Amino acid sequence: MADVSPSGLTERQAKEFHAQFTKTYTVFVVLAALVHLLVYAYKPWF
Amino acid sequence: MSDERVPSPSNPADDWKMWLVVNPATWLMPILFAVLATALVVHIYVANAGIFFNLG
Repeated sequence: MADVSPSGLTERQAKEFHAQFTKTYTVFVVLAALVHLLVYAYKPWF
Repeated sequence: MSDERVPSPSNPADDWKMWLVVNPATWLMPILFAVLATALVVHIYVANAGIFFNLG
């Protein structure tokens, strides 16, 4: 039987999913950073 | 157990291997809900600090 990973994903699937996961997470972080900049410009909290 | 040394990963190049252990079909939504819960807790804390907006 071929070597099955603990999660059941193949190496290709894991890499494919990770590429999308990191892309989505990067967009999330960039948006959050942008919003924090806008809020800081509106009312500095330090 | 053989004393086979498992090479330690080098990150972030090996980050993708996480999904060989954690199945996203099962765990992606719990992960996203954990991020949402964290964000809600932080926003509630900041709101109560009354810096920007007051809830009550």
